[in-house]
Amino acid sequence: MSRTRLSAATNTWAIFQREFMALFYSPIAYVVLFLFMISNGWIFYYYCVNYARDPQQITLVIRSLFSFAFFWVLPLSPLLAMRLFSEEKRTGTIEVLMTAPVKASEVVCGKFLATQLFYMLIWSSLLLFVLMLEVLGKPAGPDWGPIKSMYFGLFFLGCMTNSLGLLASTFSRNQLVAAVLSLSGNLLFFSLLFLGWIYRETPELQRLFHYLSFQAHFSSEYIGGVVELRYIVFYLGFTSLFLFLSINMVNGRKWR
Amino acid sequence: MNSLAESRNLIEVDGLVKSYGPVKALQGISFSVGEGEVLGFLGPNGAGKSTTLRILAGFMPGDSGRVSVNGFDVGEDSLAVRNSIGYLPEGVPIYPDMRVGEYLGFRARLKGISRADRKGRIGAALEETQTVDVAGRMIGTLSRGYRQRIGLADALLGEPPVLILDEPTVGLDPEQVRQFRSLLQEVGRSRTVILSTHILSEVELVCSSVAIISGGQLVAGDTVENLKGSLADRVCVVAEVSGPHEAVSAAFEALPGVSRVETDRPEGAGDDPGAGYCRYRVFFNDAGQGAEAIFDAVSSGGWRLRQLAAEELSLEDVFLDLVGGEE
Repeated sequence: MSRTRLSAATNTWAIFQREFMALFYSPIAYVVLFLFMISNGWIFYYYCVNYARDPQQITLVIRSLFSFAFFWVLPLSPLLAMRLFSEEKRTGTIEVLMTAPVKASEVVCGKFLATQLFYMLIWSSLLLFVLMLEVLGKPAGPDWGPIKSMYFGLFFLGCMTNSLGLLASTFSRNQLVAAVLSLSGNLLFFSLLFLGWIYRETPELQRLFHYLSFQAHFSSEYIGGVVELRYIVFYLGFTSLFLFLSINMVNGRKWR
Repeated sequence: MNSLAESRNLIEVDGLVKSYGPVKALQGISFSVGEGEVLGFLGPNGAGKSTTLRILAGFMPGDSGRVSVNGFDVGEDSLAVRNSIGYLPEGVPIYPDMRVGEYLGFRARLKGISRADRKGRIGAALEETQTVDVAGRMIGTLSRGYRQRIGLADALLGEPPVLILDEPTVGLDPEQVRQFRSLLQEVGRSRTVILSTHILSEVELVCSSVAIISGGQLVAGDTVENLKGSLADRVCVVAEVSGPHEAVSAAFEALPGVSRVETDRPEGAGDDPGAGYCRYRVFFNDAGQGAEAIFDAVSSGGWRLRQLAAEELSLEDVFLDLVGGEE
């Protein structure tokens, strides 16, 4: 046997490649990408036509573009991640996959990384609009500082929502159920800001809810152009938790 | 059913129990498969064949009992077990959105085959399963038979010492089944194979031993020769008799040593004497005076006898006897 030593990195890399490719094969990814670009393109057009005659308004255009696009944080991960395990369970390919000498952690990590990369690719389509302003808006150009920190924040927020989406897809063989589950999770985080507003009389509660809700982080990051370490810790903490739970779900597979 | 006492057992199952909620799928199954053996795993639908194979392949754990493959415990050393097997699940679930070559490349990487060996191994597996011509095709567009063979190519990729094949010939056309069997005989020479099926002739053709399970229990386990040998002293006598159907079968069933009587009754035959011939298959537990006894019974009843012949029993008959498959 000329078998090389099993390496976690090789397996994770193989799963990652297969999964990333599968995203390009799946119609969902294209539908999502299409809707994402159409909706953002329309908003960009609207703000450019109405507000960007004056080069000084470029910041306003970019801010509007990103604030509207921010709502994609809610459905994007559920849509991209819903098929990760549901599909494998529904078609039975999970049986072939998990009887190969791979660990659940390698499968989960590979799938997660592929989704994360695709997620960032979708977001990076917004950069086309920013580039347009950079080229056409001379001598004034966009301020890249807040945009960088925006992407920095999006990356960590994406880690959290994608890992939640992945966890949800280990629960059911039905993609729709998985999507609804993770969308509910996202909405829960989202709605915490409003809970904070409701409990504004109690500063402790308000601070807690404010801290847990993700768009609060987001606006402060974007507007300030700074990313605070505690938010990153917060996102990565939840990411680790969701990934850990996913590995447990895959390991204790009781389906079929 | 380890016929060669000196050879190593590559698969050992001891007291395996598995339930799905209230349903008891396996109720304490024990068997072993020696090196180089081809074991046919036989049983009616829902007997627990797939469950056993899934546990063997490390896909899911059993509730209790010990299972080891290639010397590794399935529960404790799952990775080592999965490294030693090639597994073809029932229905061959493989990614439809990948090309055949791509898929086998992906599998080869998961199985830890080095980059240098990958191309050669994939080529050999394609060659062995006669699928070279579809290497560039999308798996989703392939026929069932080809998918089955791609699944087998995948199972062979890592050159595992143990092959676990769940219903490998379902969905193949007769010519493919024939090819598949010769392929199986080929690979079975150097490997231990366990395959599940409900086709008995398949077992007789390619397997060296048989395990029959029914209702989650092992009802027989032996080499094919021994199983058939245990039938040597049992006979089936075929008789075509014209006479009142009820009375004839009652008379045959009352004969000493008869285990069961099968009747093949054409429309209207056997209603009254002379109305046609019924065909009876009478199974005797011992090869004594079966034909004579039937002749005596027919003549004392005053009926007419057209044919009387002894028939060799097949595995099918053992199978039906053991699993009570009549109903």
